[in-house]
Amino acid sequence: MLLELEAVSKIYGIGCGECCALTGETGAGGAICPRCASVVAVNQVDLQVAEGEVLGVVGESGSGKSTLLQLIYQDQPVSSGRIFFNGMLDQKGERQDILTLPSTLKARLRGRDMSMIYQNPHRGLNFNFSAGGNIAEKILDANERNYQTIRSRALHFFTKIEMPPSRIDDYPDAFSGGQQQRIQIAKALSSSPRLLLLDEPTTGLDVSVQARILDLIKALQREMGFAMIVVSHDLGVINHLTDLTLVMKNGCLVEYGLTDQILEDPQHAYTQLLVSSKL
Amino acid sequence: MTRQSDVLFGFLDEDAKKEIRRALLKAVALPGYIVPFASREMPVARGWGTGGLQVSLSIITEDDTLKVIDQGCDGSVNAVNIRDFITAVTGVSETENTTAATIIQTRHRVPEHQLQEGQIMVYQVPYPEVLDSVEPDTARQKEMHANNDYAKLWVLLYEDTSQFGDSRMASGYPVAVNGHYVMDPSPIPKFDIAKLNMSPALHLYGAGREKRIYAIPPYTEVTPLTFADRPFQVEAFPGKACERCGSSRVFLDEVHLDDGVHYFCSDTFHCDTTLDSQGDDHAA
Repeated sequence: MLLELEAVSKIYGIGCGECCALTGETGAGGAICPRCASVVAVNQVDLQVAEGEVLGVVGESGSGKSTLLQLIYQDQPVSSGRIFFNGMLDQKGERQDILTLPSTLKARLRGRDMSMIYQNPHRGLNFNFSAGGNIAEKILDANERNYQTIRSRALHFFTKIEMPPSRIDDYPDAFSGGQQQRIQIAKALSSSPRLLLLDEPTTGLDVSVQARILDLIKALQREMGFAMIVVSHDLGVINHLTDLTLVMKNGCLVEYGLTDQILEDPQHAYTQLLVSSKL
Repeated sequence: MTRQSDVLFGFLDEDAKKEIRRALLKAVALPGYIVPFASREMPVARGWGTGGLQVSLSIITEDDTLKVIDQGCDGSVNAVNIRDFITAVTGVSETENTTAATIIQTRHRVPEHQLQEGQIMVYQVPYPEVLDSVEPDTARQKEMHANNDYAKLWVLLYEDTSQFGDSRMASGYPVAVNGHYVMDPSPIPKFDIAKLNMSPALHLYGAGREKRIYAIPPYTEVTPLTFADRPFQVEAFPGKACERCGSSRVFLDEVHLDDGVHYFCSDTFHCDTTLDSQGDDHAA
């Protein structure tokens, strides 16, 4: 397995020790703990992602989809649980929980082995750096220190996202929203990650641009073979991109299976509601 | 100069000196690491060398010999005023001789003469945090230093190289110290960076306005950030030599006058000694 999550939770608030048990999919108060009023954004999630697998995460807003991604990418500290990645072992030869890694190794993991594409390009890109600089940052993160190599790799990925090489030294605010999103993709892929995390990658873009970006992601995934976790509330995106889907509600995982199966024959009442609500 | 009798030795009170010395010790123990300190009020405005001044005043003893330079020059107004102030409050002897000085307070230059063991360089630093140009969040800056994560600085270098062929940073070029912390060597020219590497002298950096101290201990590896396939290029003055003493392998000041551009040594002591030795040659 490339990625394994064991009982991963994220609690905002003081926490009373029973927050996870008192909330969840059937909890009366939703994701808010009735005893201590903490918000359980992610509730004891177990998850496995295999090499090269494409997993979709759906659920209504506030169900913990984005938080789950941010926990995997370590944008936020995890409250409890363990995460294993890429068969990493500790010094005793046992599986290494990446949450307990020293911060230098965590940073290396984020720089080299994982990449995240955010819904808002302002989060994924540094607007003070040129498009090429943004891509270079990820390559530099992976410890490349040869200018020619960095430049040619940046150009390689810049042309991969169908941008003219002449624009590589332009700054992100000189590009349209869809182009900025494509630059984020180039940046994320430039370190040749094993796992790509996408948080609503096409939300807010017009339909024709959405389709092109989705096709681009799909083609690059086939070519490079990285695993993906795609968070979206748009079932069309999930259907287009993913093989497997998991459904989240109140921070809990309520249904997991083949994407086709979940969209055609949803089992859980909440999934049925979600699928039937599709316009 | 004899010390004015109505001031404390070194102007600062002993508690202030102790606090600064503690910061200095920590800075020396962690080469290149930025240590905060209290930064007292000085009888000079912040931003006019108060960091260097406080460092000098808290390490100076009666036996020290002081040299103060501003851009290599012993005679500029700032250098003279700071030297006069320090000697007035300590009574130590002063010199322009780089080799005779035990403490050299400097603004933006490293002298041309090879520094010796036991000498201390004190730099006046305007902006101590090298990451300020790429990361405004101080908490993030600390994390980046701790994780040895300088990718953003390298991006600046990448951008300059791709757009201009080389780095545009003319002074204060970022250097990695002892293989870990990257620091701003104060606005010295690139030309002087090589003098820091494995230097027998102790280098102390004081930023009074920013309330920060950092250091390079003697014999420490100091390397400028450069791409593996792009050699570090320092200021060169091809075909030019000092018009006064004829030195060519030194850092030259470019002086624009009505009759055109002139070049002179930036280090005035170096210029004087070169001139003197030529005089000796002629005499012999």
